[in-house]
Amino acid sequence: MNTATHPVAPEEVMAFLDGELAPAEAQAVSTHLDQCADCADLAGRLRATSESLARWTVPPVPASLEEAVMNEASYVAAGRIPAKPRPRFSTGRWGWKQWALGGGGALAAAVVLLVVSSAILSRPVRQAARSVEPAEEARTEAYYQPQPTDSAAPMPTQSAGLAQMGALKSPALAQAAKASAEGRAGGGGAPLPTLQAAAAPMIARTVSLTIVVKDFAAARASLDSILARHRGYAAQLTAATAENAPRSLQASLRIPAPELTTALAELKTLGRVQNESQSGEEVTQQHADLAARLQNSRETEERLRAILAQRTGKIEDVLQVEEEIARVRGEIEQMEAEQQALEHRVDFASVDLQLTEEYKAELNSPSGSVSNRLRNAFVAGVSNAAETILGIVLFLEEDGPVLVIWLAILGLPVFLLVRRYRRIRAKL
Amino acid sequence: MNDAPRDSETESSHTPQSGELPQSDEQLMVAFARGQADAFTALFARYKQPLFGFFRRRVTDPAQAEELTQETFVALLRAAARYRPAALFRTYLYSIGFKILRAYRRKAAFRAAFLGEQPPGREPAIDSAIETQALMRQAVGRLEQLDREVLLLREFEQLSYAEIAGLLGLPLNTVRSRLFRARLALHDLLAAPASHPAAQEFAQSKERL
Repeated sequence: MNTATHPVAPEEVMAFLDGELAPAEAQAVSTHLDQCADCADLAGRLRATSESLARWTVPPVPASLEEAVMNEASYVAAGRIPAKPRPRFSTGRWGWKQWALGGGGALAAAVVLLVVSSAILSRPVRQAARSVEPAEEARTEAYYQPQPTDSAAPMPTQSAGLAQMGALKSPALAQAAKASAEGRAGGGGAPLPTLQAAAAPMIARTVSLTIVVKDFAAARASLDSILARHRGYAAQLTAATAENAPRSLQASLRIPAPELTTALAELKTLGRVQNESQSGEEVTQQHADLAARLQNSRETEERLRAILAQRTGKIEDVLQVEEEIARVRGEIEQMEAEQQALEHRVDFASVDLQLTEEYKAELNSPSGSVSNRLRNAFVAGVSNAAETILGIVLFLEEDGPVLVIWLAILGLPVFLLVRRYRRIRAKL
Repeated sequence: MNDAPRDSETESSHTPQSGELPQSDEQLMVAFARGQADAFTALFARYKQPLFGFFRRRVTDPAQAEELTQETFVALLRAAARYRPAALFRTYLYSIGFKILRAYRRKAAFRAAFLGEQPPGREPAIDSAIETQALMRQAVGRLEQLDREVLLLREFEQLSYAEIAGLLGLPLNTVRSRLFRARLALHDLLAAPASHPAAQEFAQSKERL
């Protein structure tokens, strides 16, 4: 049938028979059917098809179905909706085929999981360590936070005690210094017992102080003036001025022990004390030991010198004695240095000071203009993207072949099964 | 073989009847949702045979068809409270039926493909009483799936083109052209050349009728 020359399309004939045409169109097709043999023939074929199909009858509804549905209806009408019926398809018993399929699938999934996870895990993780530290810091800070309020109250008594101790110690120290000077001069007799007799406790004090200041530059200046006033000095000092971060200063100060109390009080006026801890190490015993050993060595030296002066022996003996004197002298000097250091620790308290600026975020950060920052961010973004792409490419290069192999091994059966499924589905 | 009323019920179902329940399908459904139990009885009486036929013609296993029919009615009952008379009731019912049918096909195909079960399919031996159905089923089964669906919905469920289009999610023109194609193809299949034994037998049975 040629639709181009025909006034009525064949589908319209069908639509007419189905009663799907508007009255006007139906009229037109109806008149056309009377005239056109082709279309009449088509109509006949379509009617015949429908008539043949009409013979495909269905047996009446089984009584069991009616009963079941009406039962359900009475339940629903009564407002009691029964529990969901069990799934129609029972799982049935699994044969070897089902077991093989299920087991194989599970195995394959496990292998894929293993391959992929090992590929991912073998990559180094860069940021793992970084995330831990801030938490740690926060914790210690929180731990120290209540300290300043605590230390404020007991301060007077403590400082009083310190002052007393300083007053006591200063004559003793002077004596000790004198004694050691005498000792070094090599005079006879025993100058050291004076120190032992004084028996004032020798304490090496260590103070650790963390202060947050408002004005960093001013605090720095007054720190210098405090040190100068108390004849202290900074054994070590580091100041850091980081970008977009509070400035900070870390210093290890040495302050004459008698001045410690006042110096500390002045230091605390610099700003808010965030953390303070004081400790004293009792070194009296250590010092006494050292002094005793030193005295012994000096006596040995004396005796050796006496031997050398009185006796004239063989040249070897003389040489041996001189060697011995040199050795003892070395020991003495070493011990003297030790003693001096110990005394220094007692004379000068060590103050570990940490000055931190109270952070004020600045709108015009010194790091540069907005355009610069935009540019930097862009560069970082591009390089990140490049890194990512490179990473993907590297992953594909490294693990791609293996993945392809596994995909082929696992994909083929899956593909075949899916195809089978589609075919069966289409036939149903 | 009973005389199954093919279309009488469906034809009259959406127009008010002058019976004990002079109501349309939609009104009956709303009445049932409001708690009128006999409204469903009337609805069931109207649609049990068409819906059973719907499944019986599409599923080879009669027991399975029965079960699917029951499932559809149960689904209808459960959804009654949510029913809104927006569309024709029969379209609504058949759309539920279609969902259940699709789920059944999916499951059956899955079981056949992946679990190695026997796919539900052709009835192997046919006794003479149901030969016509078997032949018809065979001929219809030769059509393309969508063509077949359109044809069955038109011929047996008596749906309009627009209703079929809505149900299958197809454009109206596609429904028309597919229906046309299916009818002509089926005509050729039924009046098939002698090469096909089934068609031959069918031709004989036609003569007997």
